[in-house]
Amino acid sequence: MANKKSNFQLVANGILQENPIFKLALSMCPAVGISTTVMNGVMLGIAVLFVQVFSSVTISLLKDFIHPRIRIPTYTLTIATWVTVIDLSLAAYFPAAYAQMGIFVKIIVAFAIITMRLEMFASKEPITASFWDGIGMGLGFLVGMVAIGFIRELLGSGAILGHDVLGFKPLLFFILPSAGFFVVGLMMGFFNWIETYYARRKRGEA
Amino acid sequence: MKMMLTIIFRLTVSCLIAGTIMGATFIFTNKAKKVNEFAREEKVVYSLLGYSTANPIPESMGMHEVFRYVVTEGDSQTIGYLVPLGAHGSDAGFSFVRINLEGEYVDNTDIALTADSVRDLGDRNAAIAAAFGDGKDIRFADQTIIVTDHGQRTAYLLSGKFPGFKTHIAIILALDPGYSIIGFEVMEHEEDPGLGAEIEQDYFKNQFKYKPFEKIKTLEVVKAPIPDDYFDALEGRIDEAAAIDVMKQYRDQDIYALTGATISSVAVSSGIKGMSKKFAYRLDILDKVLQEQQIAVPF
Amino acid sequence: MNQPKYLSFFVLVFFVLGLAGFAPAADLVVDTDFGAENQIVVSFRAAVDKAEMADAARYSVFEESDPDIRLTVTSVALSDDGRQATLSFAEPLNTTKTHIVMTKDIGGIEQTSSPVSKSYFGYLLSILISALLINNFVFTKYLGLCVFFGTSKRKQTAKGMGVVFTIVIVVAVSMSWVLFQYVLKPFKLDYLQIVVFIGLTSLTVQAVDTVLRKVNPILFKSFGVYLVLVIANCVIIAVPLLMASNEYNFFETFMLSLGAGGGFLLALYLMSSVSERVELAKVPPSFKGLPIAFIVAGQFAMAFLGFSGLELF
Repeated sequence: MANKKSNFQLVANGILQENPIFKLALSMCPAVGISTTVMNGVMLGIAVLFVQVFSSVTISLLKDFIHPRIRIPTYTLTIATWVTVIDLSLAAYFPAAYAQMGIFVKIIVAFAIITMRLEMFASKEPITASFWDGIGMGLGFLVGMVAIGFIRELLGSGAILGHDVLGFKPLLFFILPSAGFFVVGLMMGFFNWIETYYARRKRGEA
Repeated sequence: MKMMLTIIFRLTVSCLIAGTIMGATFIFTNKAKKVNEFAREEKVVYSLLGYSTANPIPESMGMHEVFRYVVTEGDSQTIGYLVPLGAHGSDAGFSFVRINLEGEYVDNTDIALTADSVRDLGDRNAAIAAAFGDGKDIRFADQTIIVTDHGQRTAYLLSGKFPGFKTHIAIILALDPGYSIIGFEVMEHEEDPGLGAEIEQDYFKNQFKYKPFEKIKTLEVVKAPIPDDYFDALEGRIDEAAAIDVMKQYRDQDIYALTGATISSVAVSSGIKGMSKKFAYRLDILDKVLQEQQIAVPF
Repeated sequence: MNQPKYLSFFVLVFFVLGLAGFAPAADLVVDTDFGAENQIVVSFRAAVDKAEMADAARYSVFEESDPDIRLTVTSVALSDDGRQATLSFAEPLNTTKTHIVMTKDIGGIEQTSSPVSKSYFGYLLSILISALLINNFVFTKYLGLCVFFGTSKRKQTAKGMGVVFTIVIVVAVSMSWVLFQYVLKPFKLDYLQIVVFIGLTSLTVQAVDTVLRKVNPILFKSFGVYLVLVIANCVIIAVPLLMASNEYNFFETFMLSLGAGGGFLLALYLMSSVSERVELAKVPPSFKGLPIAFIVAGQFAMAFLGFSGLELF
């Protein structure tokens, strides 16, 4: 299980093969809920990145100190601490953006992806590997959020990052909350299709 | 048993470390949060009055904050106004003037506060309770900023919160000395994007500009599309002087509702109506009392 | 020696007379209620002088939070039996706020004061319905989705997950409320909300797990596996946070958590019913599984949009 991947491979893994939103289908709540603009996606992505990296590193540092029977509470405590830190910081320094995200920053604490990552990776691997894996997962989440946010913002309000690009609003529907489900579902289907297509081509050529 | 103790020990240590980290972050960020909040409000206030970084406020302009409280003593209630004393620019302290429900003067007490500490809700409440409060329930109601230029009143800034379509809408409203609307800004809302959230758009907000007090008292909302020339003026698509002319033509008209958001439009218009009427009533009483009692205030 | 007896007798008489002076004041008006859009209906204990009752100047009405702003009573209409007076106002009343009606000099009673507000029970029910339908945590607030998609494939799993979740959330949120009111708020430790709430939830899950294992192993076999998933559910942290920011009291918190759990159960049940059918349908291969589930959920979300703005009480 501990095949030594290079650091770059760890990061790439987080973004592509094990992308939290599209592949692992975890932490989907914000993907549907607040991916209405690219800015939201970026901010929440950074928050998740921060929490993931710091938690992974902390747990990796403390992996010998943690008693196996209380490892889940310890993970929860670590994640909750870092979520509180990033929540307080965002509220203080970026109040306008923070107000857009509502309680989704606080909800990071319930993301299964982070706990799972700590359990599967950080508690067994050395610090640098955990660090890069955390970055990979966080970036994967960020990329996913930005992708969804890009489509929704462009098609919903004709703008990107607040700048009017199209000059008109194609379909208000896309920034209405329920559209999140549709966009994510369609994108997942699309990714699946691309994967099967390439797999078929590989098999056809082989 | 030993395992249990080790677990407890390690868990406690982890909790303590976690607590310290969070506590430190909190202390650090709390100051920044207060500063940022205040800066944001200041920016909104300046833009409402027509000032910005390009056109800064003149030295002669003063912003005087008046805080309204409701004091309950057993069965009777009085309204208390925390007003600054002295002339503009002097830091002569504050006075808590009490007026009963019929509009008559009750008493006034000097409160020890500085221009900075008066802005913080906790400090203010503590100072009032200390000077005054035994056995009384003192509740903060709202705050108003009276803007003066060379000692003459130029505007009133009211902050208020009222129920919207979803939860509530919080605004800052600017009135001129005759209680006509100068403008307003939406500070908080949870309306639907594209529908109720359009109350933040110029073509809705600017409809309230220049409306005289007599019209505000009977303001209604009509479900009709905005005439084209009015729309262009509201959105700033024509030059400013012409826009102001058009807007003044519509002064005595009702508000045109937002498409698909009638309830939000009515909520904002009723909210503004209520805020203006109540404020006008209360300020008249306060002015009368301050004049009768010869209390020197900078406005 | 008889003096103390006389004294106490006089004091007693004074007391009773004094009470008699106060008591009927509370009894004169037996009920006050909001009527149509800008009306308040005042019910009197007995029919008193009609002229007095119909005199608008004898009524004083104001919102509890704005006692200095008196609302103008435009007219008073009396009912046929003379025991109800309907006060009409110029402006529509804001029925979400408690109003106070004071009468002066009616039926010989100098002054009475009665509050008018919508029924509190109605308010509690409206919180429940809001969490259940209008602000459904899955379809309107988009929380708890991971667990939602994981357990909505079969009706059995859906019901199991929903029930377990409701029980855990009600217990955990009630405990969170206690800790919030009596520990976090007084000591100004608001920033520890996240840690405390998630900690309490883990504790509750652990406790329910242990209790269920011992008390009813059969039940544990069927439901125990869902317990672990409760912690990963975003709703479980969203509900206490909502409770804290709205500063609900205990009953309101109970209604909120019940509504949240119930809403989740409802969402799961609806979704699983459709899921079972979709499995038999012809779905394009790249859409099988999660993608089609998302699209179905999106349609449910659109349907639930219809509840927005619903006001039953």
